[in-house]
Formats: sequence, C-alpha cells, structure tokens
Amino acid sequence: MLIVDSLTKTFPLDEGTVCAVDRLSFQVRASEVYGLLGPNGAGKTTTLRMILGLLVPDSGYAEVNGVRTANDPIAVKSRLGFVSASDGVYPWLSVREMLLYFGDLYGVDPQIAETRSEELARVMSISDLLDRRAGTLSTGQRQRVTLVRGLIHDPPVMLLDEPTRGLDVVGVQTIFDYIEHLRELGKAVVVCTHRLDEAERLCDRFGLLHRGRLTHEGTLAELQRSSGCEHLVEMFVDLMRS
Amino acid sequence: MAEATPSKHEARRHHRQFPWSRLVRLFQKELKETIRDRRTIVTLLLMPLLVYPILSMALNRFLLASSAATSGYTVCVASDGEASQLDAWLGDPRSVPPQAIRQSSGDRLAKFLVTVAADGTAEQAVARNEVDIGVKIDRPGTRTPTATIYSYRGDTTSEAARRVLVERLQWLELADAQIVVRRALPGYPPPVIVKVEDVGEAKKGDMLATIVPLVLVLMTITGAVYPAIDLTAGERERGTMESVMASPVPRGYVLIAKYFAVVVVALFTALANLVGMFTTLWAGGLLGILTGDAGVPWIAILRILGLLVLFSGFFSALLLSLTSFARSFKEAQAYLIPVMLLSLTPAMLSLMPGATLSGAMAIVPLVNIVLLARDVLSGSVDPAGALAAVVSTIAYAAAALSIAAKLFGSDAVTRTSEKSIGSLFHRPRLASSHPSPQSAALMLALLVPIYFVVSNGLMKFLQHFSEVVSVEAQLLFNAAALIFTFGLVPLLAAYLGRNRLLSTYRVHRVRAVCYLGAVLLGLGSWTIAHEAFVVADAIGIGGLGEDQISQAQQMIEKMRQASPWLLLAVFALTPAVIEELCFRGYLFSALEDALTPTRTILITASLFGLFHVLTGNALLLERFIPSTLMGLIIGWVAYRSGSVLPGMIIHFVHNGLLNLVLYYAEKLNFLGEGFDNQAHLPPHWLAIAGMMVAMGAALVWLSTRGQRTTQAPSP
Repeated sequence: MLIVDSLTKTFPLDEGTVCAVDRLSFQVRASEVYGLLGPNGAGKTTTLRMILGLLVPDSGYAEVNGVRTANDPIAVKSRLGFVSASDGVYPWLSVREMLLYFGDLYGVDPQIAETRSEELARVMSISDLLDRRAGTLSTGQRQRVTLVRGLIHDPPVMLLDEPTRGLDVVGVQTIFDYIEHLRELGKAVVVCTHRLDEAERLCDRFGLLHRGRLTHEGTLAELQRSSGCEHLVEMFVDLMRS
Repeated sequence: MAEATPSKHEARRHHRQFPWSRLVRLFQKELKETIRDRRTIVTLLLMPLLVYPILSMALNRFLLASSAATSGYTVCVASDGEASQLDAWLGDPRSVPPQAIRQSSGDRLAKFLVTVAADGTAEQAVARNEVDIGVKIDRPGTRTPTATIYSYRGDTTSEAARRVLVERLQWLELADAQIVVRRALPGYPPPVIVKVEDVGEAKKGDMLATIVPLVLVLMTITGAVYPAIDLTAGERERGTMESVMASPVPRGYVLIAKYFAVVVVALFTALANLVGMFTTLWAGGLLGILTGDAGVPWIAILRILGLLVLFSGFFSALLLSLTSFARSFKEAQAYLIPVMLLSLTPAMLSLMPGATLSGAMAIVPLVNIVLLARDVLSGSVDPAGALAAVVSTIAYAAAALSIAAKLFGSDAVTRTSEKSIGSLFHRPRLASSHPSPQSAALMLALLVPIYFVVSNGLMKFLQHFSEVVSVEAQLLFNAAALIFTFGLVPLLAAYLGRNRLLSTYRVHRVRAVCYLGAVLLGLGSWTIAHEAFVVADAIGIGGLGEDQISQAQQMIEKMRQASPWLLLAVFALTPAVIEELCFRGYLFSALEDALTPTRTILITASLFGLFHVLTGNALLLERFIPSTLMGLIIGWVAYRSGSVLPGMIIHFVHNGLLNLVLYYAEKLNFLGEGFDNQAHLPPHWLAIAGMMVAMGAALVWLSTRGQRTTQAPSP
C-alpha cells in the first residue's frame, strides 16, 4: 500500500548541507502498523512530508496505492490521512464545521462528510462535542477531534507524527485505541515517534532511523535476534553509542 | 491494489476542474471564522458606531467656532459711553467696505455684539476669554477719540475679529477722507474703478471628492488588516497550516477562498464606515458641507460602492501577500504598520489639486486609484486614465495574490530551512516545462506598467521629434518598443522561473497542412476583424471620430514614405512573432494546465484585446472587439495545434494584408466600397473571405485531429 524507495533529502545550511533522509526504503501493508522510530532530528518528519508531497525529495520516491507523489501529489494526498501532535483547531468554528471543512478540503461530498463525522465522533466518543466551539475544548478533546479529522476522507494510509506528544495517560490510551481501530479498518499506518516504549506496544514492524538512515528494520522478535537486545530502548542506546 | 499510474501532465489535467461549489464552501468557512471573531466585530461595527459620532461632534464644535463670522463677534467695552460710540461707528454706513470688497469676500458683513464689561476693563475681559475682543475708547464723543483694540494672542477667532474691526474703522476714516477730498477737489478722478463679477456655476461636493478617497483607503485597510493576518499568519499560530497543506487542495484555491473572505470583510468595514459617516453627518445637519447641498448624494454613493470593490480588492491582495510571509501575528503586524503609513501618503495626494490621473500617475499603485476615486466623485473622469488605473490595479492585485500563493503555506514545511524575502527572487533549482499561472500573473503585473511607460514615452518622443527623426527610424523605434515589452518581459519571467523556452513558448513543428490552414485563416480573418469593427462602430462601441480618422490618414500618408518591406517587418512580422510568443506562447502555456481550453483561449484573447486598447495615453476602444476576435481565432488554432507557430502565420498574414491594403489603398479603389472607408465590405469579398476562413479552420482541424489526445506533453 505504501512504498518508500531510496528517498533522499538534503537541506542547505549556512556552511555546507545536511542530509536529513538518506536513501530510505520501507513498505507498509494494509492492516499493518509501522513504527518509524528515531531520536529528534533523525529525519522522521521530513520523511512524512516527502510522502505527503510537501517536500520534494532529491531522489527516490514514495508511492501510495500505485500512485507516486511526484507524479500526482493531489491524488496521493487524497489517499493519505495525516495527524500531527502540533495540529491545532479553528477556535471560532464548531467541531462539526471544522470536520466538514476538512471534508471539503479532501473533496468529500458534504452529506457523506456529515455522516462520517457522526460515525467517527461516536467511535472517538466526541458526539457531545460536535456542536461545541473548538476554541473551548480541552487538550485531550482537541486531540480526539484531530484524530477524527484525519479519517474524514477514509484514507487507506494513515501517517501519525508524534501522536502521543504532550498527552496524559488517558490521552495516550485514546491514541492506542485509535490505532487499534485503524488496524481493524485495514489501514496501513505509519507512526513516527521517539517514545520507544509506546511503539513496542503499538507497532507490528519497526524501522530505526538514525541521522536519516534506516539502521534496523523488522518485527520486534527480528530486531531482538539481530541486535541481542531485549527492548527497543537498549537497541537505540547501542545505536547512538556506535 | 495498484492503480494505473498517471503521468504528471494527465494528473494536472485531471485535477484542474475544481468545482465552484467547493470553492464557495471554502470561502464560507473562511468568512464564518473571521466574522465570528470578536476582533473583527470591533473593527467592523464599533469603529463606525463610535468614531463618527465623536468626529461629528468635533466637527460641529469646529464649525461653530469658525461660523462666528456670520453669527457675530462679541466685543467688550468698559462703559456705556464707549458702547454708544462703538455702535455709532459700526452703524455708520461709511464703515461698510465698498461693494467690490464685500462681493469679493462672499458679500457677508461681520456682525459685532457690543457689551459693557460687568467687572473690570475690556482688556481684562479678553484676558479671561469671556469675549472675542475688547475695545478701549479714550475721549468718546470728542472729534478724534482713540480706539485701542485687544485680542487674545494666538486665538484665531479673536485675531480675526480684531482684523475685521480695524478694517471697519479704517473704512470709516477713508470714507471720511474721500468726502473731504471731493469737497476740496470737485474734479478729482479716482485712479481706478473696481468691479467684481462671478462666472460659471458654483462647484458642489468638492469636499466629498477629497475626503472620501482618504476614508476609503483608511477604512479598507482597517477592515482588511485583521482578517488578512488571522487567515494566514494566524493559521500558522493555531497549528492548522500543515493539515491544510497536507490536504489535496491546491494552495492557490485555499488562498483565493481566503482572499474573497478578506475582500468581503474589508468591503463591509468600509461600507459600515461610510454609512456611519453619512448618517452622522446627515443627522448632525452637516451633510451639506461634504456634498455641497442638503440632499443625500445617491449617485455619488453608487460610485463609491464601485470604488469600494476596487479598493478592497487591491488592499486585500496586498495585505495577504505580506501576511502570507509572516510566521506569527506579531511579525505580520510589524510588516503591516509601515504599509498603512505608506498608504496614507498617496492618499493625501487626493488633496492636491495639481495631481491628475494621467501619464505615470495612472499606473502608480494606490496613487492611481485614489486619484480615480477623486475624479469619479467630482464627476470628471478621463476614460483612458481610468482604464489604465483599473487595469494596472487589477494586475497589481493579481501579482500580489500570486506572490501570496507562492509564500502561503511554504513555512508549514520549511522549518528546517526558513525562507527569506530573497527566496522569492531565487530561480528554482529544477527547470520546468512551463510557467505557473501565478508566475504569469506576476509577469502581467510587470508588463502593464512597463508597456504603459514605454508606449507613452515613445508616443511623446515621436510627437516631439517627428520632424527630426526619419519615418524609417520611427518605425524601427516602434518595433524595438514591442520587442522590449512583449518580448523581453516574458523572456525575463521565463528565465527567472527556469522555464524551458521551447515548451514555455510552445514552439513545436506541426504538419504542413496546418500551416496552409493558418495562411488561409490569415487571408480571410481580416475581413471578420473589419466587419466586427464596423458593427462595433454602428452600435456605438468605439468607432473613430473625425480627428482620429484624419490622424490615421496622416499616419498612413507618412508611412507611405517608407518601404513596404519595412512596414511589413515592423507591423506584421515583429508583432506576429513577439505578441504570439507572449500571448499564445508564455501565457497560454501558463494557463492551459490550470484551466480548461475554453477559459485559456478566452483569457488570452481578452488580454490580447485589452493590450491593443491601451496604447500610450490614448484609449483605442474600437480595437478591443476586432483584436479579441483575432485572439479567439489564433487561440483556437494554438490549442488545436499545441504550437505557437501557426498563430504566428495567421497574425503575420492578417497584419501584412491590412498594411498592404492601406499602403496601396489608392490603387485598390477599383475593388469597391469598404476598402477606403468604414463601411461593410462588398458581399462577394465577404463570401470569398468566409470560404477561406472555413477552409483554413477545416485544414487546421483535420491536421490536428487525434493530436489533442495523443500529443505527448513536454517533460
């Protein structure tokens, strides 16, 4: 469903350049949760932005359902759902209006968007918030609204960028439930995070990014065998020291 | 699972149909979000509700003070004897200025209300600011009393009262002296007899033309500032920008929805302010000061509504382009404050009577619309200047929007390499096959003023030096001006945008049959242009006046001194190559991926027609319909063939034929009516030309059949 092949991105600096993503390749299938893990600055967000077509890669490509981002960024965007921890809300719109607006941005028929909003609001327990002004919501409620927003166009692939950042225990559990729900729906999910303990509980397969390069990839059992470490945290500490 | 992979070109063509209803819904969301914000409400409603009544009260106070001249000045004296003496002087007809002087100052005689100080002297009463002036008369009732007049230092009313009283007493003295002189010298002739008379009609509503443009500038900016910041920089601060940019809507559409929301808010703010201003003035009985009479100026209000759209459209685009660059509210405010201050300077120009909407002033941003507003409200608009002002303003607004589209959202993805102002002018790293519509808008915004200045300058130069410069040199200057404007400006834009020249200018070879069709179209289409011109003339659109006909004939006579080959090179070959590269090359390739073929042809043809209307300081309206028609024909051929070359042939043959007909007009008289005047062409000529056009179109269509679907796009 999602194929990333030799994706590379270099940014210019005052002196020289920095390679944020270096020949990165991975695939994510339907109903699979892929953890793209790495410390801050490893290149996770840059990778997501290249998949979304917000950044043009220097080389390589991303392909969603057979459509390459470079060839048809609009078609690719309409097949991707994107949720980031830094997502905000429109304070003067009601939650329903905001969801319908994103439905419009994704070209969803307003009536279908209305029905989907109701359904997703039920799943995420925000039905009573639909007609509340978004500016009056708490952090946890906003996060749930954002998660619903990412699914309004029923995309086959979901990209989640640091979804648990800044959330309390209840908020984190909501994210876990949401990802489980996505898996049940048959979505291909990419979760970018540096919270390795959470990733261990959530993801089916992992890609460990360090300085833009994919250093390890596989299921937890495969990674344990190849690295000799029990947990992802230990693997990462070894990686950082090497 | 995998879907058929479309090429980039196919994908773009597939997505270019953006439903209007979707755009309207995006606009509604932006408007809803802005209108609900209480900060917008403060600007929109509270300003007009509070500011104008306060201003009106201040104006009332000012007017009351300045109307003392008609209601009367208060004068204080110390005793009843002095009061009687002063009343006697002022009541003496000899103290009244002569008729000529009275008439020159509005035929009004200032009144004085003489009172006796209840406490202290006249001087002290003035010092306490109880009266306008005080008068102390020594020896009242004697032959030569002395009058000392006191006024309050720096108080204009007090000083004016003193001046008037001094004059009245001086007139008394002069009139007395005159009587004495006449008695002593009965034959004394006065050195001059002065009379004054008024001519013409009193101008009304000048204040309206002066004040309203200022209000429009201030209020449209006030109305546009907050929504412009909130809908762009605010989007970043809220953290919604990245989600919007990740959605499959081209950022230009998101920006257009935001633009219209800002325009609507700016429009309503300015409207609310004008309603507030007029209502307050009307309620306070001050409307006459603004309009010149007591009635409500309905026509002026309708004109103001039209101007509002222009002002709002311009400022909203300008502000959006600046706020799109800002990363926060604070940064946006820092950009906008200097713009607001700068905007006031040209707005003040409307107060200068010497500034006119002509020459360079007609294309200077903001100055032109302020002057246009002034002229529209005073009812003296120069159509050429007005059109230049409107067209250039639309071009500037489009350019500002295209800059905004380039900047908007870029920050959502460039946190790691933040953009600077300079990045706007950097050439892209990768070459592209054609310019974007935004780049085309920028190019047009640059082309309008350059074209205006070059064509205006050339016209003035040739008028000045027509005796010195040979006809051949004049022709070459014309060609050079065309190359400099329509040739170099798009070329510069293509260079800056790193656009591949062959695909940008759509220079592709086509089948020989297509060229043959183009020749036939060129041979026949001039009759269509001619008939369109005659029909337009008959229904009153354009048409040539006697002056224009005589000027054109003089021009033709002059051109006959030059070689026909040179004429063909200047008036047929150069425009055919340069104008086609610009309109059916650069502009066509910029628009055809974003718009449907019909819209692309219509827009390029209209622009082609519009540029033929604007020539220097003259407005050749009669050229619009024929030129646009030619633009439509050539546009269709350019679309069918995918190339600029057949259009060049049509253009060359059309212009060449017209020039040769004019050159050899005397020898072609035998062909009948229509060749030497503005009448319809003979029917048999129309039939022949019609057949040529039909055959030409058929050949172009046949030679390009199947090509539209199989044509491989340039990479």
